[in-house]
Amino acid sequence: MAFFGKYLRLVLGACAFLLVIAMSTPSGAQQVNPTASSVKEQQLLQELNRVQGRVSIPDQRSGVLEQPAGRDWREFRNVTLRWIGGIAILGTLAVLVIFYLSRGMVRLESGRSGRSIVRFTAFERFVHWMTATCFIILAISGLNITFGRPLLLPLIGFEAFSEWSQWAKYAHNYLSFPFTIGVVLIFLMWIAGNIPNKVDVDWLKRGGGLVGHDHPPAYRFNAGQKAIYWIVVIGGGAVAATGYELMFPFYLSGIEGMQLAEIVHSVVAVLFVAAMLGHIYIGTIGMEGAFEAMGSGTVDINWAKEHHRLWLEEENARTGANDARPQPAATAAE
Amino acid sequence: MARMKFLCDADRCIECNACVTACKNEHEVPWGINRRRVVTINDGKPGERSISMACMHCTDAPCAAVCPVNCFYTTADGVVLHSKDLCIGCGYCFYACPFGAPQYPKVGNFGSRGKMDKCTYCAGGPEADGSKEEYEKYGANRLAEGKLPLCAEMCSTKSLLAGDGEIIAQIYKERVTKRGYGSGAWGWKTAYRETIES
Amino acid sequence: MLIKRTQRERSEVASRGSVASALAGQAGGLDRRTFLRRSGLAGGGLAALSALPIGSVHKAEAAAAGPLASGAAIRKSVCTHCAVGCTVTAEVLNGVWIGQEPSWDSPINRGSHCAKGASVRELVHSERRLRYPMKLVNRQWTRVSWDTAVNEIGDKLLQVREKSGGDSVYWLGSAKMTNEASYLFRKFGAFWGTNNTDHQARICHSTTVTGVANTWGYGAMTNSFNDIRNSKTLVIMGGNPAEAHPVSLQHLLEGKELNRANFIVIDPRLTRTAAHATDYVRLRPGTDIPVLYGMMWHILKNGWEDKEFIRQRVYGFDDVRKEIEKWTPDEVERVSGVPGAQLERVAQMFATQKPATLIWCMGQTQHTVGTANVRASCIALLLTGNVGKPGTGANIFRGHDNVQGATDVGLDIVTLPFYYGLAEGAWKHWSRVWEVDYDYLVSRFDDKKLMETPGIPLTRWFDAAILPKADVAQKDNIKAVFVQGHASNSITRIPESLKGLQALELLVIADPHPTTWASLAVEAGRTDGVYILPVATQFECKGSRVASNRSLQWGEQIVKPVFECKDDLEVIYLMAKKYGFADKMFKNIKVENNLPEAEDVLREMNRGSWSTGYCGQSPERLKAHMKNQSKFDLVTMRAPKDDPEVGGDYYGLPWPCWGSPEVRHPGTPLLYNNNLAVMDGGGTFRPRFGIEREEKLPDGTTRKVSLLADGSYSKDSELKDGYPEFTLAVLKKLGWDKDLTEAEMATITKVNSANPDAVSWSLDLSGGIQRVALMHGCVPYGNGKARMNAFGLPDPIPVHREPIYTPRVELVSKYPTLPDAKQFRMPNIGFSVQKAAVERGIAKQFPLILSSGRLVEYEGGGEETRTNPWLAELQQDMFIEISTADAADRGIKDGGWVWVSGAENGSRARMKALVTERVGKGVAWMPFHFGGWLGGVDLRKNYPAGTDPIVLGESANTITSYGYDPATGMQEPKVTLCQIVAA
Repeated sequence: MAFFGKYLRLVLGACAFLLVIAMSTPSGAQQVNPTASSVKEQQLLQELNRVQGRVSIPDQRSGVLEQPAGRDWREFRNVTLRWIGGIAILGTLAVLVIFYLSRGMVRLESGRSGRSIVRFTAFERFVHWMTATCFIILAISGLNITFGRPLLLPLIGFEAFSEWSQWAKYAHNYLSFPFTIGVVLIFLMWIAGNIPNKVDVDWLKRGGGLVGHDHPPAYRFNAGQKAIYWIVVIGGGAVAATGYELMFPFYLSGIEGMQLAEIVHSVVAVLFVAAMLGHIYIGTIGMEGAFEAMGSGTVDINWAKEHHRLWLEEENARTGANDARPQPAATAAE
Repeated sequence: MARMKFLCDADRCIECNACVTACKNEHEVPWGINRRRVVTINDGKPGERSISMACMHCTDAPCAAVCPVNCFYTTADGVVLHSKDLCIGCGYCFYACPFGAPQYPKVGNFGSRGKMDKCTYCAGGPEADGSKEEYEKYGANRLAEGKLPLCAEMCSTKSLLAGDGEIIAQIYKERVTKRGYGSGAWGWKTAYRETIES
Repeated sequence: MLIKRTQRERSEVASRGSVASALAGQAGGLDRRTFLRRSGLAGGGLAALSALPIGSVHKAEAAAAGPLASGAAIRKSVCTHCAVGCTVTAEVLNGVWIGQEPSWDSPINRGSHCAKGASVRELVHSERRLRYPMKLVNRQWTRVSWDTAVNEIGDKLLQVREKSGGDSVYWLGSAKMTNEASYLFRKFGAFWGTNNTDHQARICHSTTVTGVANTWGYGAMTNSFNDIRNSKTLVIMGGNPAEAHPVSLQHLLEGKELNRANFIVIDPRLTRTAAHATDYVRLRPGTDIPVLYGMMWHILKNGWEDKEFIRQRVYGFDDVRKEIEKWTPDEVERVSGVPGAQLERVAQMFATQKPATLIWCMGQTQHTVGTANVRASCIALLLTGNVGKPGTGANIFRGHDNVQGATDVGLDIVTLPFYYGLAEGAWKHWSRVWEVDYDYLVSRFDDKKLMETPGIPLTRWFDAAILPKADVAQKDNIKAVFVQGHASNSITRIPESLKGLQALELLVIADPHPTTWASLAVEAGRTDGVYILPVATQFECKGSRVASNRSLQWGEQIVKPVFECKDDLEVIYLMAKKYGFADKMFKNIKVENNLPEAEDVLREMNRGSWSTGYCGQSPERLKAHMKNQSKFDLVTMRAPKDDPEVGGDYYGLPWPCWGSPEVRHPGTPLLYNNNLAVMDGGGTFRPRFGIEREEKLPDGTTRKVSLLADGSYSKDSELKDGYPEFTLAVLKKLGWDKDLTEAEMATITKVNSANPDAVSWSLDLSGGIQRVALMHGCVPYGNGKARMNAFGLPDPIPVHREPIYTPRVELVSKYPTLPDAKQFRMPNIGFSVQKAAVERGIAKQFPLILSSGRLVEYEGGGEETRTNPWLAELQQDMFIEISTADAADRGIKDGGWVWVSGAENGSRARMKALVTERVGKGVAWMPFHFGGWLGGVDLRKNYPAGTDPIVLGESANTITSYGYDPATGMQEPKVTLCQIVAA
């Protein structure tokens, strides 16, 4: 990445610069001419790509006189990010639309059995929906920062847009906390079912059954869901970490660190949003019977048979019965 | 139209901080907000130079470009100003600014940076010139009274120059020619994409 | 794009009056010159710019100017934070100071300020100022009324006076006061009956005043800041004007640039000034004399001295030559660390690239050898003929807005106003001016001998309070201190001053701020006997102040005193009234509501100050100067001759301004400049020490050597050779007595009816003798030689003496300090202290040299400036500079806390370390403005509630140690020893 290259250059430049200083410092009492030996801006910029010195106020970050790196960041924010975000999000939406039009909803092939089985406990669902709600608001308010100015502002005008953006910013900042907690809980709650294994390879090889009428076997979570899980955990972790760095300026890094954090935050976030669009699709209109899992918490036995056969077998084996009464305790241990 | 700029002649700057307190005085800037500051490079070593820095009122200002709510505007004199009514305190201008100009009052809770504050080139803000509202939000509007920024006007050694870019560049060139040395118009390349050849 | 609402409303950009409608040149806008000035252009570049197309800053229509500042009155005063003399322009609306504007018209600051000057408005509306009088009751600060305070203080002081004599009360005045207040304070001392009246000059430039006056007549900066623009070589030795006198750098740097001048800084620290030097020389603190002699050694060796100048205008060159010859390059390097080659280079520039000036400040003066340092500097100037011409001179940068004035008006222990001394003749002169009976004044003193004996220097007040009574040569110890505008943390040996604070029967602090006097008095264990009187800042008073260049500037009252604060003059009047001599003291001064009129005080000064030429600066003339500031030239500081109000005057009528105001002497911008006629500001060296001297020759015989100038005289002088001071007898001899008017003659006869012939230019209250001398192109004080050999001083020829606490113990035997002696009513045991320090191996225990100095953001003891948030924000922590090498040895990190311990009293202080190459190895440096901590303890609780400064910190003077200049009682804050460890 260009940024790391820049850092390397910074470090090398610093070393070179220190060497120059060390050599130019008068050792004895030769003629010292401070006028002639004055530092030059262009030299410092070439060597370090920034100019830094001492200030007497406690705010030491203000000792950075000049850091033209902001220009690169500006280019990223105003151009690169909009392309990445636009392609990722619109692209995903386009794919989903085409998929829906061509494939339609994945039907429950064997029809409903009328019997159901508990798939997610109330707590799990609470955690999911808390995180999901936060995510949606975070996503919208976040996208507003990048896309609001060209798209929304012209429609609603300066005052209204600022008012909205102000609230969006508050929401973004405050909801980051429940979101982060949600991500942590998701990580702990579902880690057991999300370790990749051999079944996933088979599932992936068979395309997850998305095309055609195949139903590759899966435990509680199939490879697709595992992917979402890890996207949430890793992506969520990344946006949370970088987000907090931006929220508490200068606690963790200087301005370049924050620029880098913003880059990571925004790129991960738009990809995250794109991935979540897929997740939402498959959990709602993409697949019959899927929403119930997070809606009521129970799924039809037939749905479980088709999509999570191995999980169903496990559940049955564990409860030691074929009856499908809800067994909240059975899953709580996970 | 004049194009207003700042130029700090580092070979004159003695880090006396007059520009800093003049700014505080003129605009009643609160503790912790430093619209202008003086940075000393090579502190204590031969070649030490101090440079007074504030918003440079850049050409094609990065702050304005990255602002999510587009609260910046450039006056006919090339002064980059912003509206505190529109600012949401997101901090993006601070990431983009090459000079560390944007300042944020701490308003208590985390994450809620207050409305950004920065050097106005003593030109106030969007409110009516010289109005009480303008003074309270942005400070005095000297430009409207035909005066230049007080920091430069009060500079102890006439190091900090403010005024039309062409004129102050000419003054600086003259100085360098006359005295035979000059460490450059600090920040000009970054802010205005130009350097002063001497 | 977002646009300004007003623009949107008017929908026409141009109608708003864009700020710089370039090329338009509308009428009614600022003119081009003003724009350029506002753009920061120096005078020098104007002509070259004339070809440029330049727009004007367009003044907005009145309607657009907004309601905020409209109707504000503009008032001018003088910045109180150093002696450069920057004009402060205030906008006042409804009695409130609402803004500061650049003072473009002042030839001194031309709009500029430093951090302090640009923030003085805050001093007045500060929320932390004292609001009402207070007294300490059971360790609690309790509000009292002015009446109560004045009565209780007065009763107590009268009681002390009754018991211990008038000399037992110490009256500590201030360099912050106007001339009028300082003068009244000194006059008050005379009426109270003591010479124990002192102020800050004691601890900043007392050695300069003594050393320079003993060389060529007057103790002041010879030239001006503006005149330094003419210099081809500037040597700044022992000064850091970039921080201490920032606005002066405008003149120094522009001069450096326009002349491509050599800008040489000789200092232990690579200061902010040194950052702009063309040559920087680092010396060991306290070795100024070896370095100066080292320069002179090269000058003599190469024959660069100005032989003709020396022959005509200098006395004692051969005596000095002998001392110079001892300082070979090797010895200089051994003692000071400065290599010969570097010094030769500097010497060559100083002596041959003329005009050259030598600039100094407290780096030279604040030493046990302060007077000798200053003398050596003067000798260097005389040797090279660098005095009395534009671009030359001893440019002594003074530190307080009126420290020169307060010195001149005699707020001092060694003299009555205007350097008349303390002899009977001086007292009689002032009793004539004051129209008070001489015998009455005598009756006020404990005895006539003490009346004619210099008082106790402020540096020793606590010694005078705690030493055995027998050691203090007056009736009793100091029992009470009345301090009006002086910081206690500016005085060395703070741990011992606490004993003094404890011993006092009464302490009165009259100041806008409680100062460290208050916090340390409580810390010393006092539970009562302390009063605080709120005094107005100088911006709430009117009167004249003298800048370092001797220009007088009249400051208007910007706003009325706030809260219950009172003008200095009123405080002095209330005191005098309480003691019953107000009627006598204010006989010729109008007093309204207890407030004496400043103009009347100045007029009284005019009537008595012939010796120093403060006689021509009437309030009317000074006010005219402030009104016409823009008319004075930047370099010569002179107004065009045809101006109706200030025609031909130099700005501020720099003293000496001879004769009565009616003579219209223009003032003297450069002292001793004999290329100008006296009536154009010319002058000669002053024969102040006799007209001839008997010298002993090696063969035992004696010869008489003239001290008058030899063939040199000021332009247009009718006397073409040296001449003595003018008396009636001299006038008669020349046949010029007939030029005196009858009225003048009558006054002369009245002055000394027994022997009118003896009446001199300085005692003649009519001014007639001066007028006649001027008429004939002569300087009233005579035309003498400057003294390289200042016989009468402890060291007539400066000799190097190691500091009391020196790390170079091996040099002490060759260069010891002067023997113990009794000076200023007090024992000075410097020699014993130095000897003991060497014997006890103090230098091993405390291996680092500690020096101190100034920060640009603060001033003096710093209470006022540390209370100003705009300044305090910029320097929030007390720190010590330590070299990179010394810090590495001690494991000290930049910004980390350290303990600094001193060589006396087990003193120690906690502060932050600033690791830097600014100081050399073995040297540490502290700013001296901090206070409010002591030995690591925060004393914030000791201040009256709500009046504590924002920033507190350890005082440098907690660590400083013993050492007093024998000629002046100057303290030694620039060289002591310390040890630093990480905290």
